Amino acid sequence: MSLTHVPLPQPHDLSSREKEDAMGSYLMMFAALAISLPLPIINLIAAIIYYYVNRKKSRYVHFHCHQSLFSQLPTTMINWGLLYWVLQIFLFDNSESNDYFYAYLGFMIFINLIYFVFSIIAAIQARKGVFMYFIFFGTYAYNRVYSIQNKLMYDN
Amino acid sequence: MLRTIFGPLYITLPHVFLLFFVGLWGAILFFVAFLVVVFTGNYPQSFFEFQVQLMRWKLRLNARLFNLSDGYPAFGLLGTDDEYTQFEVPYPEKISRSLVLLRFFFGVFFVGIPHGFLLFFRNLIGIFISIFAWFSVLISGKYPESLHDFMAGNIRWQYRVSLYLGYMTDEYPPFSGRVDV
Repeated sequence: MSLTHVPLPQPHDLSSREKEDAMGSYLMMFAALAISLPLPIINLIAAIIYYYVNRKKSRYVHFHCHQSLFSQLPTTMINWGLLYWVLQIFLFDNSESNDYFYAYLGFMIFINLIYFVFSIIAAIQARKGVFMYFIFFGTYAYNRVYSIQNKLMYDN
Repeated sequence: MLRTIFGPLYITLPHVFLLFFVGLWGAILFFVAFLVVVFTGNYPQSFFEFQVQLMRWKLRLNARLFNLSDGYPAFGLLGTDDEYTQFEVPYPEKISRSLVLLRFFFGVFFVGIPHGFLLFFRNLIGIFISIFAWFSVLISGKYPESLHDFMAGNIRWQYRVSLYLGYMTDEYPPFSGRVDV
């Protein structure tokens, strides 16, 4: 038994509401689509709001909200990079669409696809009450949320 | 009188300003809930409660704007108004996925158009009733009960349609604003 971390709950220990709330955190990636505003920041804002609204519900929900929020940061920054570049090319005429641009575009699509697929899988797993750890972000979220040093008071 | 002249300033403006942002969040949760319902057949309970609270807030505001009740509408999702308005929706354990898709693609035709058509005329009548009732309240201090019921029925009907189109119930909304249908 770990002395540094709180034991992880089993799927049958979790209420369906907790599982649904945890799942919802990953689905915040659809926020921009929901309000028809294709800005990369919308999803991040939605994830931040969702995090602060739900984090105190339980450690399980907190973990998933945390992981979802932090895993969204690199994708958002990459998307912002592309948006900036696109604006420089097509609006301000400060740059041109060279090979670097297309490489970056391909890279962005690839990263977004990975993010999308992993988030959907994580959402499904969260609804089943199962933990899924993203590379780096999963461990970080686990150490933040399930550490005995985490003094946040939870409802459940 | 006070509400009619200054209502837009001290009731509508602050409430609508806040409701705009909360409504944006509601739109996001609505879309996410739609996806969840389509794939699982369950409406996430937290999302459901949020939508009900949001509708309750709008109801409190509407009741004042139509002069259907006195008092200042409480701010926030957790605000209560039991003395004047009540809005309860039972949480559905299951939502029909096929019905959700049907509503998504054809909801405009079999819900939006027939109900919208009738509600348009009801609301048109409601405008005249509001004016008449306003004078009645000003002169006698009383809102005629039958007119009050009609106006409350308008809102009730619209809310039932909203619930159905919002995938929060599988029950097709009745073509009536009465309580007992």
